[in-house]
Amino acid sequence: MKFSWEYFFATFPLIAEKLPVTLSLTLISAGFSLALGTAMALVNYYRVPVLAQCLKAWSSFIRGTPAVTQMFFFYYGLATVSALVLNMSPLVAVAVVMSLNMSAFVAESVRAALISVDEGQKEAALSLGMSSFQMITRIVIPQAVRVALPPLFNDMINLFKMSSLAFLVGIRDVMGASRIESAASFRFFECYAIVMVIYWGCTIVLTFLQRRLEKRCNAIYE
Amino acid sequence: MESMVEVRGLSKTFDGSTYILKDIDLSIARNEVVAILGPSGTGKSTLLRCLNYLCEPTAGSVRVGAVTVDAARHMGSEVRALRRQSAMVFQSYNLFKNKTAKENVMEALVTVQRKPRAEAEAIALRLLEKVGMLDRKDFYPAKMSGGQQQRVGIARALAVSPNVLLFDEPTSALDPELVGEVLNTIRQLAEEGTSTMLLVTHEIRFARSVASRVLFMDGGHIAADGTPEQIIDSPENPRLRQFLNFVSK
Ligand SMILES: Nc1ncnc2c1ncn2[C@@H]1O[C@H](COP(=O)(O)OP(=O)(O)O)[C@@H](O)[C@H]1O
Ligand SMILES: [Mg+2]
Repeated sequence: MKFSWEYFFATFPLIAEKLPVTLSLTLISAGFSLALGTAMALVNYYRVPVLAQCLKAWSSFIRGTPAVTQMFFFYYGLATVSALVLNMSPLVAVAVVMSLNMSAFVAESVRAALISVDEGQKEAALSLGMSSFQMITRIVIPQAVRVALPPLFNDMINLFKMSSLAFLVGIRDVMGASRIESAASFRFFECYAIVMVIYWGCTIVLTFLQRRLEKRCNAIYE
Repeated sequence: MESMVEVRGLSKTFDGSTYILKDIDLSIARNEVVAILGPSGTGKSTLLRCLNYLCEPTAGSVRVGAVTVDAARHMGSEVRALRRQSAMVFQSYNLFKNKTAKENVMEALVTVQRKPRAEAEAIALRLLEKVGMLDRKDFYPAKMSGGQQQRVGIARALAVSPNVLLFDEPTSALDPELVGEVLNTIRQLAEEGTSTMLLVTHEIRFARSVASRVLFMDGGHIAADGTPEQIIDSPENPRLRQFLNFVSK
């Protein structure tokens, strides 16, 4: 079977129309993983006893296992012991796994940004009589945000790609749609080419935005 | 007259066995300009940092102005009160990188002293003018030379009207051609005679000319204490003589 451009262009819109599913999964998980990851980074930064050690083990577990296995472990594995997971809609389950997964990476990006602010500036703040809350909110965080934004954006691009796991639990995102189209037409080459182009195109746009963000972040304070 | 700084039985160990500061007693009068000399690693920075609790003493008490903190029993609020009595100028300037020269000077006025912004700004501009940095008021530290950053650092320290100014080798990180501008700023303050200053420095000639009193630290002790004439011109302590010979070469 020859590659059919005609089929490619005819089917492209059918698959691309599922992009909102992919994007909303990404956005929702982005929100949760940023909040959760930042909280985890703060626990680490302040070396909260016990909790910091637990999160370290959790983070090692998340970063040391593939997202696909986490998805299966959660959706099919935990469902056998937890009614909560069993009754969860696939969309929610995927968002939960994506958020939990990415929060470990976000925590690392935020942690690195927080410790990038040198001790000297913190000592200067304290020596003037500032409270540690004032020091963190007025000196450390503004600088850490600048350092964290580019790697966090990178995390979000990874999250966008990770959303393709949703098809595994039967969600019709762009990946799910191309599976369904190709199963019906047997035109696997075209269908998977389409989905590749869609992901690639979106990632190019996101990377372009990231470059601009990076430039702006580097230019601040100069 | 009551002294401005009173240190009693101050000791510090980081690891529980080697004592960096050994039972130091020190009393400094109002408006005294005290230069602290000594080989590196003898605890000069540690002594200064114990005075504002950036470094927590192992034992002893520290009084600056009206606030006394005892190492044996102290609370966070006391430490902050103690810190408000002094201001420090750091070897590596330590300006806030996310703030301009003017904002660096205003910061503690707004956050610690809770002054209205307009008032804080007026004070900042006056002090930047004093250290010759008014034309750089809107520059971030990344766009200033080391000497300029340090002069802003001095203005930032002056802003809080501290009872005591602490200088920890303020010119050691500077390129030689920039040392002069910072020393001149410090000299100007010393000559006004209205600030109590503790100055750790390796600039012996500078110390000789601005200080009213010189301490020589060696091995965690204050090994010699006297006028610049006594300490620098006719040193008696053999370790001090050795040190002066070494640094003047
Ligand atoms: N935070 C710290 N932890 C462990 N040791 C330290 C610390 N700060 C200083 N020291 C040690 O204390 C000694 C005195 O240091 P310091 O006060 O900086 O000396 P100086 O300023 O006279 O050169 C040095 O041996 C140094 O290694
Ligand atoms: Mg030192």
